[in-house]
Amino acid sequence: MVSTRTWLQVAGGVVLGALVTAAFLQGRAAEDTWTANDPVGECGTGALGGEIGHQRGGEVLAVQNVLSATHGLSPANSIWDADADNASRAFQAWTGLPVDGCVNTNTWVTMRALVIPVCAPEYQCQGPDQLLHWGPAQDAHDAWFLDANCDWATWVLPGVAESPVASRTPYEFAREELTKLRCEG
Amino acid sequence: MAMITDYRRATRRNELILGGAVGLVVVLAVVAVTLLITLRHDAEPPPEGAPDARELTAESCAADQRQPAWVPDGVTRADAACPEDIARRLSDSMSPDRLGTWIVYDLHGAANEDTIPRAAPGSWPQAEVESGAIHPATTITYVTYPGSEELTDELDGDTVSVERLDFPQGGGDARVTRVENNGFGPVRVEWTDDAGSYLLLTVLGRTPDGRSGVEVDDLLRMAGSLTG
Repeated sequence: MVSTRTWLQVAGGVVLGALVTAAFLQGRAAEDTWTANDPVGECGTGALGGEIGHQRGGEVLAVQNVLSATHGLSPANSIWDADADNASRAFQAWTGLPVDGCVNTNTWVTMRALVIPVCAPEYQCQGPDQLLHWGPAQDAHDAWFLDANCDWATWVLPGVAESPVASRTPYEFAREELTKLRCEG
Repeated sequence: MAMITDYRRATRRNELILGGAVGLVVVLAVVAVTLLITLRHDAEPPPEGAPDARELTAESCAADQRQPAWVPDGVTRADAACPEDIARRLSDSMSPDRLGTWIVYDLHGAANEDTIPRAAPGSWPQAEVESGAIHPATTITYVTYPGSEELTDELDGDTVSVERLDFPQGGGDARVTRVENNGFGPVRVEWTDDAGSYLLLTVLGRTPDGRSGVEVDDLLRMAGSLTG
């Protein structure tokens, strides 16, 4: 006969295991938010079934910010247009990807590999803590990002940001309309 | 009785000889392995007459930082950004504590030069875009985080390969992360030592004539030449 105490111990173990698993999955999800994004640009459909996600929004802004550093794309306004399309194709050609204007997982991970933490890896900097710094030594361009607890965020420099994007403001890699970062940076 | 005692003595002597032999073999094996490891980790001295790459940053804020003494022949110049510079670029409130120091090495050669037109990207000729003719300058970025003991988060993905590779001149190894896009793509070389953690980043770029950038072996040789 199994005692009530034993059942309570089993239930407690199950709850604890579930909490640990949830925390692990949450952590993995936060880590993956750069490479597990929706396709952006000339492919697929947005997460909401329309143009949001692949034609405008936080993920489009992230791509524009990368391309501002690598290919001089400006402005970054979170709206996909002919400039973003051609710059993304040039990025794909340069890095050996199929040239189709579709920023899918392979293009996302290629962009991610160019981003470097500004702070020593074991420390959490406050504010923008990830930098894509590219170009000739004396004329390099910067694109800043935040690897926050809940999501990655894009942080656009003045001169590159254009309405509705505000400069020096963290925007989530959101699968929806432009959204300011909702968690600690 | 006397015969039994002699038999036991003989057995003990054999056991002692066997034990001694085994001990000797173990000691020799340990010495051999230690010598092998030591020889393997003795860094090959830089070639005589080769310029010291640290001279490229001698006048900069990175002069006192640990950095590669060897760079590929194609490197023509370097520019450094130190924690105070980086903090200043962001905001007045950012503390330079814990920030890394960056050195960007320019690479010589037409394939490595910036070819991005001044016109808006929408007007770039399709043929040039698709051939890889329009690209940024290919550089090598080096970042040092003094006092750090960890590497950056490991990347993963279907096109990402991560492996540990030895420095060609010995003295250690590094984690090499490649995004494999048909033989091209970003390469990150990351490693640690007693003084800090380090990163080298470049792109093996596709151009109409072939490729830009340097080989992974060159990055590993740079990593293995760290001094300062």
